[in-house]
Amino acid sequence: MSTIHRGLTVTVTVAQEKLEEVNVLLESLREELVTRRRLYQEKIPSTFFISWLTLPAQKYAAEELLPARIILLTSYVGRRNNHIQELAVFLSDQIDKVFSFSEEYPAGEMDEQSIVRFLKRKSIPQTFYSGFKFIRTEDVAHERLLKAAIFDFLTRQKQEAGFVQQSPLQIKEKIEAFVNSRDDLREASKRISSLQKDKVAMLVPLGIFGVVMLTSLVFLVLGIFWDSIVFQIGAWILPVFLFILAGLFVWLRINENNPHIANEEVSDDWIREIVLRERNRVVNEMTVIAPLKKGLVRRVFLAVTLRLISLVGYFAYIPTVHTARWLQMDRGKRLVFIANFDNISEAYAHDFVDSDNRSRNMAVIFSHAAGFPATKWLVKKGYNHRSEYMKGVRAHQKITQFWYAFNTDLSVENLKTNRKVKEGLFKKMEDKEIRQWLLNI
Amino acid sequence: MELELNDIQGLLVRGFGNLQGAQYMLFRFTTKDGARSYLKELLPLITNAAEKPPEQALQIALSFDGLKFLGLPSKVLNSFSREFKEGMTDSHRRFILGDSGENDPSHWHWGDNLKGEIHLLLMLYSKDAETLKAALTQELGRAERFGVDLLHSLPTGMLHQHKEHFGFRDDLSRPIIEELAKEVEKKTGMTFPAGEFILGYKNLYDELAPSPTVPAVEDQQAILPSLAQDGTTRDLGKNGTYLVFRQMHQEVCKFWTFLLGKGKSREEAIRLGSKMVGRWPDGTALTLSPYRNDPELEERNDFGYWDTDKDGLKCPIGAHIRRTNPRDHLVTEKTKIDSTQMASKHRMLRKGRPYGAPLTADLEPQKIMDMVTDDKERGLHFICLVTDIRRQFEFVQNNWVNFPKFGGLEHDADPIVGNHYDDKGFKTDEFCIPGYPVKERLTGLPNFTVIRGGSYFFFPGLKAIKFLAHYEK
Repeated sequence: MSTIHRGLTVTVTVAQEKLEEVNVLLESLREELVTRRRLYQEKIPSTFFISWLTLPAQKYAAEELLPARIILLTSYVGRRNNHIQELAVFLSDQIDKVFSFSEEYPAGEMDEQSIVRFLKRKSIPQTFYSGFKFIRTEDVAHERLLKAAIFDFLTRQKQEAGFVQQSPLQIKEKIEAFVNSRDDLREASKRISSLQKDKVAMLVPLGIFGVVMLTSLVFLVLGIFWDSIVFQIGAWILPVFLFILAGLFVWLRINENNPHIANEEVSDDWIREIVLRERNRVVNEMTVIAPLKKGLVRRVFLAVTLRLISLVGYFAYIPTVHTARWLQMDRGKRLVFIANFDNISEAYAHDFVDSDNRSRNMAVIFSHAAGFPATKWLVKKGYNHRSEYMKGVRAHQKITQFWYAFNTDLSVENLKTNRKVKEGLFKKMEDKEIRQWLLNI
Repeated sequence: MELELNDIQGLLVRGFGNLQGAQYMLFRFTTKDGARSYLKELLPLITNAAEKPPEQALQIALSFDGLKFLGLPSKVLNSFSREFKEGMTDSHRRFILGDSGENDPSHWHWGDNLKGEIHLLLMLYSKDAETLKAALTQELGRAERFGVDLLHSLPTGMLHQHKEHFGFRDDLSRPIIEELAKEVEKKTGMTFPAGEFILGYKNLYDELAPSPTVPAVEDQQAILPSLAQDGTTRDLGKNGTYLVFRQMHQEVCKFWTFLLGKGKSREEAIRLGSKMVGRWPDGTALTLSPYRNDPELEERNDFGYWDTDKDGLKCPIGAHIRRTNPRDHLVTEKTKIDSTQMASKHRMLRKGRPYGAPLTADLEPQKIMDMVTDDKERGLHFICLVTDIRRQFEFVQNNWVNFPKFGGLEHDADPIVGNHYDDKGFKTDEFCIPGYPVKERLTGLPNFTVIRGGSYFFFPGLKAIKFLAHYEK
């Protein structure tokens, strides 16, 4: 089974006047969740997060009204079909009730398979980031238990004369013997079979892209010496790609000369309404949906950017973020950003604006959204206007009426550390590496 | 940009360390006219930043309730920052600050409006206790004449060798304002643009911190400076800042008894206490000298963690000084530069002083451990000056001090000033000391500091005080 963490986004349009009713329904589901959390964990085990919200109609480029929408965003590990099936079985009633407010939802009786088909049909692509890779929901509790048990074991052993003086390797072997002696921990001795396969799977798109570009470069050189039609055609790929990119940059630069239209001031009451929902002690959620700035180039440039970012997803790193996703809706005219992160949004937002590197990276995406700071050549000048960035986020932040998280009390670092402990077991290491590994326990 | 020192209250550039006596007084106005007349009379007595008074200094700050009482129009009041308007005891701010349980404002001596609406903080500094007494009498008389009621009077006192009540050297790490640093090398993480601490100047983001404003029509006498980008608006915040005040009671005996219980010997208790603080009692940073204090290093503050102590084997990641100022190493960051840039965006100018009699005169931990009773009120009047309460004070309090997951930890709030509890398994009462072959974990930490009061204040520039004193509508 795949352990790659992925996202599913399903969206339909809905009449603006029905939003209030949908919101009430979603809020009631949220209230029910308080007592049904365990059931969710059992019945949809592939799911880490669910955000379900409504989006009011928004103005694009001051003239076009983008429709109101219902958006369901989940993150899951495993096969997409399984995940959708789980949702359709366990949440069939809820899905039926909520989405039936939309005219895009099929009329009449909907069985589970009809719901599966609906979810697939209405799902849209996205760029997805996960802060903890290759961890399944069932691993979360097991790896936490494993680390706690090893810690208790070592703390007890430390009291034994001579234990501390043993070599790192001897200590590691004792830990491994302890793990093997416990029925509830022994599974940790098995290697995670799909890990290598999943890593490769994540890297395949980047690999293909790299190979195509590299091949094109080689063909370009070989084409100088050999007159082959294959070389001549292949040699065009890299230059065309670079030419298109350069063209997009110039086109964007022209668009950047448009007068900057700032967001309207966000009221204290609105911010308060948002932050009052962030009462979870470890993990919280944020959804920002903004129309793009005027101009086709913004839509095209962002679409290209999101696809290129997808390619390097394996190497991406955003501190304190469990999952994040970016996508475009309504023919690219809306940018959707949703993140599940540690602590509260005030703290989380600083991860983007406090480091020069990161705020520059964020500008690559957010500078296309209406009201966000103006830029020059995408990342120059303006991207680091912290207050404008923060205002932009708050101005376009939406209230997520329903939010479910499988894990509510482990931070991203906790999940990663627990995994490091497990990965280090039964793995050949030098003494220095073992000392470093022991620091995770 | 040169600082307008004549318009800045002195506390922003100095701590008045030469003035050993100090008292903080919390007042409530009773009439608008009385309040304005009182401010008019106080104005020439306020020490500005250009002066270094040898005898006495006086500083004032106003709460949001105080500004409201003065009758400022809602447009002006709304221009203050949200957290200042909401106040420290607002339910959401309490959540962010972690003020629950023992620290819940319902237990505070002041700051909760049920115990009296505070309008003005007056900070009086004098060269010694005797002159302070006389100055106090004078100030109380002055307040009485204008119908300004004293709600609380909070004495302070410098302790032996700049220590705090637990017996550790305090106040060693201070941000330096670049515009005032003539001879110090300007360095990220050490020196800071004035806008981090004084409104009206550029901050680390190369922008002006949002400042309270006044429509020009409300300032007929043109007392306030115009906002650079907008001639129709005057800058009420220029040369002022926000002041955060927290009265933190310190449970000194509880602290050392806990450590003795865990450590089994006095030396071990001091080692554990030092691990919690991040410095040895004399101030030597553990990162510079992990096994014992070093008199040569006790004042050294030019150290980081990235190169020499990433794993916290010398100074634990959860140690107090590492949480409140992570310097060049944040566990969640991939580079030293990112860590330094992130950490430097959340610094504060600390200006508080201890209060209450020390448990022993020289505050030597060995002697403090001999003391068995600790029934007197003692602690720290924590005062910090920031241009952005949320980004600076609240961020540190929320994300670094109280968030138990800080730096990859699990159940560890700041061991010294964090709020420790175990709420149905959600714990913040542990402290981990990395080590080989396994970390030490101290559990069941009680609260060693308890909040007794607190409030957010606006610490205006002198022109702003003049405007407030003359504003009538």
